[in-house]
Amino acid sequence: MEDNAIMERKKMCLALFSGSLDKLTAAGVILSGAAADDMDVDVYVLLQGARAFKKEIGDNLEQLSMAENANLKKEFIESLSRLKVKTWIEFFREAKSLTNVKIHICGLAGKIWGGEKLEDFVDLADDICGINAYITSAQEADIHLFI
Amino acid sequence: MTIEELKELKANKTVDARGTACPGPLLEAKKTIGTIQAGDIMEVLSADEGSKVDIPKWCTKQGHEYLGTIEESGYFKIFLKKK
Repeated sequence: MEDNAIMERKKMCLALFSGSLDKLTAAGVILSGAAADDMDVDVYVLLQGARAFKKEIGDNLEQLSMAENANLKKEFIESLSRLKVKTWIEFFREAKSLTNVKIHICGLAGKIWGGEKLEDFVDLADDICGINAYITSAQEADIHLFI
Repeated sequence: MTIEELKELKANKTVDARGTACPGPLLEAKKTIGTIQAGDIMEVLSADEGSKVDIPKWCTKQGHEYLGTIEESGYFKIFLKKK
């Protein structure tokens, strides 16, 4: 594969503002696509996202709301289960195992939800960062998304 | 490749991803192609309609060769050759 110029690694920057179950699931699917393409991914976990990344929240579906059609949450969860779709955390974990995904928790967002240290968040988080890290990554990325 | 030629193909590796929805088949293909030798043929079985577009495109982008797809009843057999 060395002779193939298209193998150059592309970069994705994902600003994950949302902490809702549906949007986290979408983010997980997108990360999977990036992983299949061997992209380098930086995820910046902002306000509501940081709450979902708290250790006591994570995959605890009771604690997560829907961004849209809140009344359909039960149906949504049942469909994911029937289709054998991974939970959002599992998507993130798998993407990390397949490609270079770094997950950065916004320091301010963490504090808002009572998370001061990296240990306060699910073990997928790599560091706690400031806003310049996000802006720099967004400037350098081939794809930049805000979810 | 014609459908007849594809039907004659012996895959070195079969990935049965019929139990999963997108992005399952793509990720299964991605994980498995790393485990086979250059020149090997891999077939991906997927019941996901999106896969028949997604996997060929991904395959070519990754520098592998897309050989073709056979539509079986209720699923697709997608053939790839690792480069």
